[in-house]
Amino acid sequence: MVSSSGSLGNGFEPKILVFACNWCSYAGADLAGVSRLQMPANCRVIRVMCSARVRPEFVVKALSKGLDGVLVLGCHPGDCHYSEGNYFTRRRGLLLRKLLQYVGIEPERFQVRWVSASEGVKFAETVEQVTEQIKALGPKRPRSEVLPTEPGDS
Amino acid sequence: MQDELREIVRKLLADGAIEYFIGYCQGSEPHRVFPCFVTEESEVEKLVLGPLCLQNLSKYVLQARDLGGKVGVLVKGCDTRAVVELIKQHQLERDKVVVVGVPCQGQVDPRKLEQALGVPLERVTGVEDAGDEFTVTVDGKARKVGKEQVLRDKCFFCKHPMSFEYDYTLGDVVPFIIDAEKSEYAAVEALEELPVEERRAFWRKQFERCIRCNACREACYGCYCTECLFDRKVPRWLDRPPLPEENEIYHLIRAVHLAGRCIDCGECERVCPVRIPLSRLYKKVQKDIAELFGYEAGMELDTVPPLVNFDLDDQDPFM
Repeated sequence: MVSSSGSLGNGFEPKILVFACNWCSYAGADLAGVSRLQMPANCRVIRVMCSARVRPEFVVKALSKGLDGVLVLGCHPGDCHYSEGNYFTRRRGLLLRKLLQYVGIEPERFQVRWVSASEGVKFAETVEQVTEQIKALGPKRPRSEVLPTEPGDS
Repeated sequence: MQDELREIVRKLLADGAIEYFIGYCQGSEPHRVFPCFVTEESEVEKLVLGPLCLQNLSKYVLQARDLGGKVGVLVKGCDTRAVVELIKQHQLERDKVVVVGVPCQGQVDPRKLEQALGVPLERVTGVEDAGDEFTVTVDGKARKVGKEQVLRDKCFFCKHPMSFEYDYTLGDVVPFIIDAEKSEYAAVEALEELPVEERRAFWRKQFERCIRCNACREACYGCYCTECLFDRKVPRWLDRPPLPEENEIYHLIRAVHLAGRCIDCGECERVCPVRIPLSRLYKKVQKDIAELFGYEAGMELDTVPPLVNFDLDDQDPFM
């Protein structure tokens, strides 16, 4: 089980899960790295073959299990390697965001962005922006709310 | 109407048109109605029809998939949407099922009825429709109860009192007037307006109670997966103890899985042993789907569900 690492207060460092599409955003992240752009180290990147691969379950589970934010990155609409994957992501993302908001999860904690392979700078900016927003919100679950878990479930 | 139904079923069974018929029969107590499967002509007399026939029988139709012949099913207007959805989702072939549509005059919520009468439901021996009221027999005496008091929540905003996809029908709905001042989504909107912390607290309180008996899933017409992802061992989506976090995952995943498919039959909420207001969760998704994509599940056979479809000009708040 993942738990928010940082202590409460000013020193809070969020954990953010990033799903990056293999063809655009992951290459964009690579470009950001190769270009030696500075960005916060709060993100854990998972490469997926398409942003549409990110099932809503992934997001729901990550957020409920204590990650502070989830960021889904895909190709710009029209640029999908599989022609239409990100159009589905767009619809699902919109719906999921509204649902999460409804059950009391701030909309900033689940974001979808389009980052192409040439947009290393945009990748760095997005990561920075999202990290700032989530830092401002604080940890997903205050410590007091954390319940004991099953033994061996670490 | 009950006799008419029995006549139709008797004829269907006699002709060998169906293997069995799914309808309602009298339950263990007078106010309880169970789903039943009629296979013989002699059993036809078991079938009943009335305002207490609550279950959505479309769920049982899925069993007929592996059957050689056809199966007959009784549907109220709202349940017709489930049949339509099942056909749309390629779970059922239209010619495998003989649909008998009944006009529905509104269904009674047993909990509300108990409250309105002020007596235990065990003493109720019959509920009959009487226009804008129900005639309830308590201890052999007839009492009138207004429909506003005892109707199920979903019936206030009924769009299809009469089924619209059927092979046989039992007459028409007798129009009746009920007072439904609020909008269909009033409960959802009230919750939407709360600040985010209060919303979180509200749902946390609800999910805390969940014992994960899976009744909502079992009663849902849309949960027909051969292996549910919650039952899967690898990857394991849920830990077994019903902790609030796990319950939240359970209910949210169910809500997104039913997005664009939920027909608001209200079965999940009705069967919930700890009375979680589940329809407030599913209604929210329905509302969003209606607002964003202008779609309502189960209404027409030839519209494409919104989440398996896209539009190049969809709104894009993610740039």
